[in-house]
Order: sequence, then structure tokens, then C-alpha cells
Amino acid sequence: MLEIRDLDAAYGDIRVLSGVTLSVGPGEIVALLGPNGAGKTTLLNSIAGLLRPRAGAIRFEGEDLGALHAHLIVERGLALVPEGRRLFGGMTVGENLELGAFAPRARPTKAAGFERVYGLFPDLYQRRRQLVRSLSGGQQQMVAVGRALMTNPRLLMLDEPSLGIAPRLVRSIMASLAEINRAGVAVFLVEQNVQAALGLAHRAYVLEAGRIAGHGAAADLLRDPHVRRAYLGPLAVRE
Amino acid sequence: MSILAQQLVLGLLIGGLYGLAAAGLSLVFGVLKVLNVAHGELIMLGGYAAFWTVALLGLDPFVSLLVVVPLSLLLGVGLYWGLFGFVVRADEETRIKNSLLIGFGLGLALHALAVLLWTADERSIVTPYGGSITLAGLSIPIVRLASLLIALALIGGLHLLLARWRWGKAIRATAEDWQAALLTGIDVRRAYLLAFAIGTGLAGAAGTLVSIGYSTSPSIGLEWTLKALIVVVLAGLGSMLGTFVGGLVLGVAEAASAAAFGGPYREVVGLVLFVVVLVVRPRGLFGR
Amino acid sequence: MTHRLGGGERRWALAILGALALLALLPAAVPREDVINFVFLVLLSITLAQSWNIVAGYAGQVNLGHAAFFGLGALVARTLWIGDTPVAVAMAAGAATATLFALLIGAAAFRLRGAYFAIGTLALSEILRITVGNVLVEISTLPTATIGAYQLTHRYYVALGLAALSVLAVAALAGSRLGLGMQAIREDEEAAEASGVGALRLKLIALALSTGLAGLAGGLFAFYHISYYPAHPFSPHWTFDALLMTFIGGVGTLHGPVLGAVLYVVLKEYVALRWVDFHLLIFGALFIAIVLLLPGGLVQAAERVRRLLAP
Repeated sequence: MLEIRDLDAAYGDIRVLSGVTLSVGPGEIVALLGPNGAGKTTLLNSIAGLLRPRAGAIRFEGEDLGALHAHLIVERGLALVPEGRRLFGGMTVGENLELGAFAPRARPTKAAGFERVYGLFPDLYQRRRQLVRSLSGGQQQMVAVGRALMTNPRLLMLDEPSLGIAPRLVRSIMASLAEINRAGVAVFLVEQNVQAALGLAHRAYVLEAGRIAGHGAAADLLRDPHVRRAYLGPLAVRE
Repeated sequence: MSILAQQLVLGLLIGGLYGLAAAGLSLVFGVLKVLNVAHGELIMLGGYAAFWTVALLGLDPFVSLLVVVPLSLLLGVGLYWGLFGFVVRADEETRIKNSLLIGFGLGLALHALAVLLWTADERSIVTPYGGSITLAGLSIPIVRLASLLIALALIGGLHLLLARWRWGKAIRATAEDWQAALLTGIDVRRAYLLAFAIGTGLAGAAGTLVSIGYSTSPSIGLEWTLKALIVVVLAGLGSMLGTFVGGLVLGVAEAASAAAFGGPYREVVGLVLFVVVLVVRPRGLFGR
Repeated sequence: MTHRLGGGERRWALAILGALALLALLPAAVPREDVINFVFLVLLSITLAQSWNIVAGYAGQVNLGHAAFFGLGALVARTLWIGDTPVAVAMAAGAATATLFALLIGAAAFRLRGAYFAIGTLALSEILRITVGNVLVEISTLPTATIGAYQLTHRYYVALGLAALSVLAVAALAGSRLGLGMQAIREDEEAAEASGVGALRLKLIALALSTGLAGLAGGLFAFYHISYYPAHPFSPHWTFDALLMTFIGGVGTLHGPVLGAVLYVVLKEYVALRWVDFHLLIFGALFIAIVLLLPGGLVQAAERVRRLLAP
């Protein structure tokens, strides 16, 4: 579904990604792990069209995304929940969600989209007239995921959804993602919380210093000594 | 005492036009992060468009708005496609600097063009009706009152447009975070185009009202750009109604200072307020 | 844009100074008043443009209040000179006043980011213009005796000296450590600050130099004109002229403003229609084109042409 081949990306003179190759199949949940500064956000931004890659190919459902403007990529069915959520703080929950259905692809499914989002996050329905600025971190994350869902995506990408969220809410968000996946949406997840990510995902890649350092089935990676040492550590939370 | 009150009322009446003038600038700056310092020249062009519409088509001066505003919208589209659409390709810092410079060049060129086409003489649109109504011992010129009410209506309409219209919401979203807007599927360039066109339309409307109640000439551009800038800095970005109130405040402040220090110092108070707010509180009084 | 005083610019500096030296012979060679007046205008414009260039090109800030310093220089110089102070002292006092005012507002002004600095300085300059215009409403005319003793060539040589001074100032600045520091600020203020460049101090030095020259130019204006409205030198069009000339020539270069000034004055004299500032229409459009397409101005264009022709 999503195929990335030999991707190079840079900001000005600073090379961030080198020769990244990975894929996400339909119906899969794939995680991307790695230390801070490895380039995970850059990778997602490149796929979403916010950053033009220097080299390599990004193909989504057979189509080359390379030159498309970001809003057209959303139109193709590929949505990103960006790091830090990036909501429209001065607008209400309902308005943020409604804007998610802005693209032509999503407009016919707007009503169904609202049902899906409020069904997943009932809390949001009660707060639909509340300004997003005044919500807690966890609630804002729900709005962010909901807004991306409103675009009616076939592949949902998330950049560190658990950042700054209480553990109980993280579990809840992961559960929601599982449910979204069961409904047929593929998920590509960049996560700092390795335990949670590998608990959810089918497969995972590891990105270190701009290169793919490893990949495999989630269960295998959980047992991998390098991964355990680097990312889980002695203080890893046991579920 | 009632002389002062009379002056303040007149200040309030022109303050509405300051607010309208500022609204267009504020919208464009807030959404595109572009500082079009030729905004005053766009107001000037609106004034001339109104003048010639009335002179050639014999329309009622206020009805000429129905001609001038669409023309201004089109001009805005043209200016965006031909000029400012290129400025938005850079990052925010560069955008502001470039738009300042480009606006400057555009203003000069438009000024010279206006003199070339219509001479440097002042033009005013004379309405077939006039007079004033008396309220609480104060005399309120009808034409200027009508202009204030129209300006208020336009601002109200703009507010509704931004609040209810699909693209109005897209424009607000783009103003807050254009990358997030892209990720939501909004064609940000289209939002920019619409915002710029509407901003120019507002300038055209302001120009029309200015040439009805007061007068227009090629050199009013700089003066009105400064007025608009002062109001934007006073009121901050983000609220059209707040901008309108900022305009009223400026109008009244000018009237008060003219009463206190004499007519010629009317302009100075706005500029001084401007500099003070810039240094002390760059976000303005209402802005977030 | 690197603008160290490299070989190219050094050659330009010498060429310009050489041309100015030659121009010293003009009044003797061509004793026509209209020609001398024309060249005077060019020389004044060069000074004005170069002075503006210092802050814009080397400290990276667009100062839209330049006319304030031109005006202050003129005001003080004129007042003192008419009051029987020797003109050299009067002009120096004018320059000093301008610089003092600049330093007073400088620290606060430089706190404002780019665009706000620009419109803030414009507002300040307008405040001065309106106030002076209200306080000194009458035309300022020279006393009859002075008019009788008026010698155009004196003014001409002062203008020549000022133009040379402004070119030298920019040359000295560009080649010095001060200039390099300023260039670092222009290119990346945060990085420069981090490496200890002391941005504010350098900007204030640039401002002092720029406004001092502008003040001298104002003094020259006061020396040259027999009568004018005291508020006239405060008019923003002096700033805008300087802006146009510098940008079109090539901001941040040594010879750009000189070329821009010459082109501007020539165009103004020969393209002027009856009452239209037609040259402004052309320059306005040219300015937009330069900002969008050729930020280095004509100097950059000339460079490109030269590289095309000389493989």
C-alpha cells in the first residue's frame, strides 16, 4: 500500500534521511521506532508532502507521491496526525473535526465520519462546542486523531501520539487505533513508547541516524536484545 | 463641552472607516503573513473606481459599492496571481520582509499611475442628499453615518463569512497553522487567494466610503496605509470586530488630540500610540 | 550575499573615487549652472543612498525613517547657519544631532523585528515631519546678504566631498572587522549572537554611521537651497528615494547605490512628464522585479552578464 524506496531527505544542507526503504501493507499496523533526532518526524513529513525528498520514491497504492502538494496527498487517502497535534486552537472541537472533512474525498462521508469519531471518543461529543485550546493533552490527542479520521483515510500515520499523555490514556488511544485498524484502516505509527507501539503493531522498523537499522515482526523485536537494551531499558514499564 | 462631544462624534464616524480599512490589511497579514503596504493605494483605487462609476453610470454613490467591491475582488485575485502568490513561497520571515518591499514598490507605481490617469486633483463624490440628524444636541451628518453603518455591516458580514462559510473556516485554519491546514486537506493556496481577494474587496469598499464622505486623491495611499497599520497594531490580529473597535478608538483619539492640541496634531497621536504599542506590546490590545 | 571588500569592490571603490576626483574639474570645464546643479543632485543622491545602504545592506534592517535624520541635519544646520554659525560647524552640529537622536531611539527600535522596525521608524519620521511642519510653518529663506554671496561651486565641492566620504565610509566598513560582524548578523542573527558578535552594539554603530552621513547630507541640503519649507526634508520621499536607489543598484554592495543613484537621477530628469513622477512608475515596477527576481539589484545583473560573456 505504502512503499518507500531509497528515500533521502534533508533540511538545507543537513542530511536527515539516507536510503530509507520500508513498506506498509493494507490492513497492517506498522511501527517506526528510534531515538530522538533519528529522522522519524522528517520521514512522516516527507510522506505527507510537507517536505520534498531529495531522492528516492514514495508510492501510495501504486501512485508516486513525490511531487504532490500535501492537501492532494490527503485527498488520496493518506492522513497524518502530526507531532504536537497541531490543532486549530481558536476553533471548537466540532469545527476542528469538521475541517477534517474538508477535502472532496471526505465531504460525502462527513456525517458517517462524525459518528465514527464520536463513537470512538464519546468524550469529544460532549465537548464539541468547546474551544480546543481549553482541552487537556489527552483530549486534544483524541481530537487530532479524530480530525485525521474525518479525512476518510485508507492509511493513518501518527507522529508520537503518546507524547505528554498519561499512561491510562495512552492505553486507550492504542485501543482506539486497534479498533480503527479493524475497521480497515492501515496504521503507520511513530512512537517513543516502544512497549505500547510493539504491543499494538504487527511489524516494526527501527530508524537510527537517518537509516533503517532493523525491522521485523513486532513480537520478534520485543525479544531482540539490541532493541531491549536501547529502547526498553531496565525501567521498562511492564504491561 | 458640546463642541468637544461634536468633535468626538465626527472622530467616531471616520473611525469606522479606519476599522474597515484595517480589516482588509489585518485579514491579509493574519492569513498570508504578508504585509501589503500598498493597501492604502488599493483604498485609493477603490475611491477612484467609485468616483468614475458614479460619474459614468450615474449610480447612487452608495450603490456604486455593488460595482466597486466585485471589481476590487477581481483586482485582488489579479494581484495575488501576478505578485503576492510568489511572495508566499518563502518562509514567514522572508515573506514579511519581501511583502513590505514589494508593497512599497507597488504603492509607488500605483500612485504614479493614478496621477498619470486622473491627475493629482482631489475628487469627491457628491451625494444628492445630505444634511444631518440631531441626537442629544449633537449634529450627525447623514452621509457619514450611513458610511459608518455600512462599514459596520461589512465587518459583521466578514465575521459571519469567516465563522460560517466553509472556506471562511479554512481561511481561519490556515491563519492559525498552514501546515496543519494542508494536512487536513485544505488547499492553502486557494485559502490565500480568497483571503487576499476579500482583503482587497474590503479596501475597495473603504475607498468608496472615503470618497463619498470625504475625498480621494492619488496621495491618500500612504496616509491610509499608516492608519490601517496603526489600527492593526492597536487591535492585534485575529478579530475583525476587535479591529473595527480599534478603528473607532483611533478616530476618537485623533479627535480628542485635535481638540486638546489643535487640528494639525490630529495625525500625531495615532502615530505616537502606534510607536508606543509597538515597543511595549507588539501583540496589540485585542490580539492573542 | 558575501560582500567583503574583495578585489572587485576595491577596484570599484577606486574607480568611483577616481570619477569623483575628475568631477572636481567640472565647474572649470563646464561652467554651466544647469549641469552643475544636475551633478550636484547626483552627488547628494549618492550620499543619501550610501548612508541608507549602511543599515540596510550591512546591518540588515530596512530603516523607513531615514528622512528623519536628513531632516534633523537640515533643521539644525539651517538654524545655526542663519544664526551666523560657520556653515561647517553648523553642518557638523546637524550631523551630531541626527546621530544623537538615532542612538536615543536605537536601542528600543532594534528590539522590533524586521517589518515592525521598518514601519516603526516610518511612524517616528512622520511624527517629526508633522511636528516640525506645525511648529515651523513659514518658509525658511536665506538672508539677502547670503543670497548675494551665494556661490554654487562651493556647494558643489561640499557635495563632492560628502559623496566621496560616503563611499569611503562604506568601503572602510565593508573591509573591516566591524563590517564582517555586521554581515554575520545580516545573514543569521541568532548564530552571530551565539558566537559573541554583540549584535546590538554593531547595529548601533551602523546606525550612527548611517544617520551621521544622512545628517551631513541634510546639512548640505540646508546649505544649498535658498528657500524651502522646514518640514520638506522630513518628507518620506527622501527615504523612499534612498531605498529605491540602493535596492535597484544592489543593496549591501559598495557600488550598487552609486549606480542606482545615477540611474535614478538621470531617469528622473529625462523621463519626467509634465506633472507626473513617471520615473516612479518605472522604478516602482523595477523595484518589484528586483525584489522578486534579482535581489542583488543591477550589480547582480551585471555580474551575471559578465559571467555569461567571459567564459
